[in-house]
Amino acid sequence: MKKLNIVLALVLTGLVSLSAQAVELRDHHKEVIGKDCKTCHDNGIKQFPSDQACLQCHDIDDLAEQTARSEEDRWQNPHNNLHYGKDLPCQECHGEHKPKKPMCSNCHTFKFDKHKE
Amino acid sequence: MSNNNLLGRRNFIKGMGAAAGVAIAAPAMAISEKADGVKWDKEVEVLIIGSGFAGLAAAIEATRKGAKDVHIFEKMSYFGGNSAINGGLFAAPGTPMQKKEGVQDSVERMVADQMKSGRGVADEALLRHVAEHAVEALQMTMDAGSEFHPYLQQLGGHSVARTYQTTVSCGAGITQPLYKECQKIGVKTHNRSKFEGFLVGEAGEILGVKMRENYHFGEDQPGKVIKIRAKRGVIMATGGFAQNIDLRMAQDPTLTAEVGCTNAPGATGEGMYEMFRLGAIPVHLAHIQSGPWASPDEGGFGYVSNYSIYNFPHSMAINRLTGKRFMNEIADRKTRADAELSCRDEKGEALPPILITSYKDSKKHPNTKKVIKYNVGWKFDTIEELAKHFEVPLKPLKAQIEEYNSYVKSGEDSQFGKNMTKAKDKYIQAPFTVVRLWPKVHYCQGGVQVNTEAEVKDSFTGKPISGLYAAGEVCGGIHGVSRLGSCSIPECMVMGMTAARSMMKA
Repeated sequence: MKKLNIVLALVLTGLVSLSAQAVELRDHHKEVIGKDCKTCHDNGIKQFPSDQACLQCHDIDDLAEQTARSEEDRWQNPHNNLHYGKDLPCQECHGEHKPKKPMCSNCHTFKFDKHKE
Repeated sequence: MSNNNLLGRRNFIKGMGAAAGVAIAAPAMAISEKADGVKWDKEVEVLIIGSGFAGLAAAIEATRKGAKDVHIFEKMSYFGGNSAINGGLFAAPGTPMQKKEGVQDSVERMVADQMKSGRGVADEALLRHVAEHAVEALQMTMDAGSEFHPYLQQLGGHSVARTYQTTVSCGAGITQPLYKECQKIGVKTHNRSKFEGFLVGEAGEILGVKMRENYHFGEDQPGKVIKIRAKRGVIMATGGFAQNIDLRMAQDPTLTAEVGCTNAPGATGEGMYEMFRLGAIPVHLAHIQSGPWASPDEGGFGYVSNYSIYNFPHSMAINRLTGKRFMNEIADRKTRADAELSCRDEKGEALPPILITSYKDSKKHPNTKKVIKYNVGWKFDTIEELAKHFEVPLKPLKAQIEEYNSYVKSGEDSQFGKNMTKAKDKYIQAPFTVVRLWPKVHYCQGGVQVNTEAEVKDSFTGKPISGLYAAGEVCGGIHGVSRLGSCSIPECMVMGMTAARSMMKA
């Protein structure tokens, strides 16, 4: 996994202010993962990946930093929010094979411009 | 479900479709089995299902009482259940803040308020048990790091101010510290783990459960079912069924998808129904409460709910068709929810009423800014602008404001008998803030019957089902017809603690 981390880090440096949700990153997933579905599907191909699979490469503190909002709206950070802190599993809002709505939209009208459904 | 424009019929129907989808996505029912000859995949000491207030409090208390191997299983991907998204309001009698503010209160008085709202069918013994231990439960939240606003609130139906609220005005101000405390003291937490039924011993005692691992709510995903032995027993803290439209309409056909829901999506009731199959006694299932402070302009509990709970005492609720008040703004929840549902246009379609507050008074609540910013509430400089925006007849509205302000002055509401104490000197005057109101299903008073030891009673023997405990909203009958606001958190926590104590001494 270390190698993967390095590759990812290199690509990330090249993309300033990149959001975790941005489409560019999805393209990039293809590049890193290639055709090896098992990179993510750690529970077997027919099962959804564990949330830890995403965290092999993505660091929750980094993500929280990237999506931080101003002091007044600080709890609207999807990666560190009022209700669940940093414990919100990735697949609640992100799906590699199908689009998903941000979980906040269950109750709130916040806009997350970079989140692609 | 988010009905951003309840005014438009088409959107309204669309919203209903979305809600119906939730009901369809509800997972298949669990089935319990005899445990003889079962090969256990895993053994734990204390097994708790559900990670809201009740489950978290039970885990902490069990650990304090000496349990070494406590496990919480949570169906959803995130922890905290419905507890993580409510208003964070906590009622208790005889608290330090009441002493500081000079409020005379007692266990008896709190129970009496709740009995009144329960309309004769509340469980007095359970209410007293909860009230007696409420301060202790409040202390548990503070020990874990919960912080509360430095003032007390008096919610609808309470005869005195006895309600604390977390500084974040949300139950997460309690679930987050409790969850962190659980991690600190070594409680093992498992998300995406769905309860699939009990494993029952020879004498009908609960020996363990079937649990589906790697479960993804609302998705077609196989996962894997394992059998877990629970040495001391199982605590069911699985919450209510407000999100299950089929189940709630089976109890109360008026609770269609037209009435939204404030609950977390996981509140679908299969834990409760499985206990019924086992023989638990169903109580008061048809008493389902809608929150009269919710808004049709956002999904779930959102921002408006807390905004209106705070502002109701010094605000005016107006029927847009008539421009007149139609209820006591601080009556109990059922009274107000019913009154709101009666606000309809000439065709009988929903016409959500509006809550008018003076901006100078509303702005003291931290949500006011957000309510305006996220377009779920509006600010107006003149009454004409306000009336035009909501198509309210101007003349009667002006007359109503004048009349209401005379009640503010006299301290007596001759229209609806509202207690004007908290409205003192708070005249309705420009600029105004306004939100729309429409009830949302909020709380299921019904559930399985438990005693003051949090033991689940069997319908045929009348005796507790051995090895089975329940706490929180999954239990029924405690509050009767209508639960008073801020009385669920103390109930969940006290009964969670009680379940753990009973289990540890069994």
